[in-house]
Amino acid sequence: MKMIQPTSGPKSGENFWLWFLKIVTGLFIILLLLIHFVVNHFVAEGGLLTYADVVAYYRIPIVPIMEIAFLIFVVSHALIGLRSIILDLRPSRPALTAINWLFTLIGIASVIYGVWLIQVIVSRGSA
Amino acid sequence: MSEHADKSGISQAFRWFDPRGRDVGTIAFILNRITALGLTFYLFLHLIVLGQLAKGAEAYDGFLATIRSPIFVFGELLVVAAGLYHGLNGIRVGLTSFGIAVPQQKKLFYWLLAIAVLGSLIFGIRMFTA
Repeated sequence: MKMIQPTSGPKSGENFWLWFLKIVTGLFIILLLLIHFVVNHFVAEGGLLTYADVVAYYRIPIVPIMEIAFLIFVVSHALIGLRSIILDLRPSRPALTAINWLFTLIGIASVIYGVWLIQVIVSRGSA
Repeated sequence: MSEHADKSGISQAFRWFDPRGRDVGTIAFILNRITALGLTFYLFLHLIVLGQLAKGAEAYDGFLATIRSPIFVFGELLVVAAGLYHGLNGIRVGLTSFGIAVPQQKKLFYWLLAIAVLGSLIFGIRMFTA
């Protein structure tokens, strides 16, 4: 007899808030991706297909803010998701601790790198 | 290491890819996980290659010229298809997690799969004919 679990929820080793954050960031990603897509392909004339287009696009003040929010949501969602996949492989306690630290570092490094890149593009537009 | 054991090992591995006799929910879960891994790979690849923007116009426009080849466009189509499925299925999982539409979740899955396939087809046609 197979147990059927009709709904999903936090798995063992996954904190409720981490699980909740995964859902909330997922929802925000869908919304931001939709806006990002419509703006990039329909509002920006002919799409953002050159360096000059991208620099001009980032001169709109809301764009860098939106992209930074998008970056944080996507990176968090990806890393929390990857961690929950690893939880299914039943890692030992020390392995999980190492993964927690590693993923936190990767997350922080990715966001710093992304914000730096966005700031470079914005500065090219204002120069 | 008899030939027989080897053979059964291979068929066991193939069994892993055999969708027959599995729950719809299991298929939804497997697809969710495969697309998750693909999208995560793409995310970090995307962040790395966008670093070309910092190198200036020549580097970035040269990079864009490279990714116009059909193999990269096909890769982008896979990202679109994975994104569509993962996003739509995520809405379903999110809803059912909070006890919403639990009895209708199979029906929702068939609908979202249809939308994802149709959407990917439309994108594919647009991407390869534009």
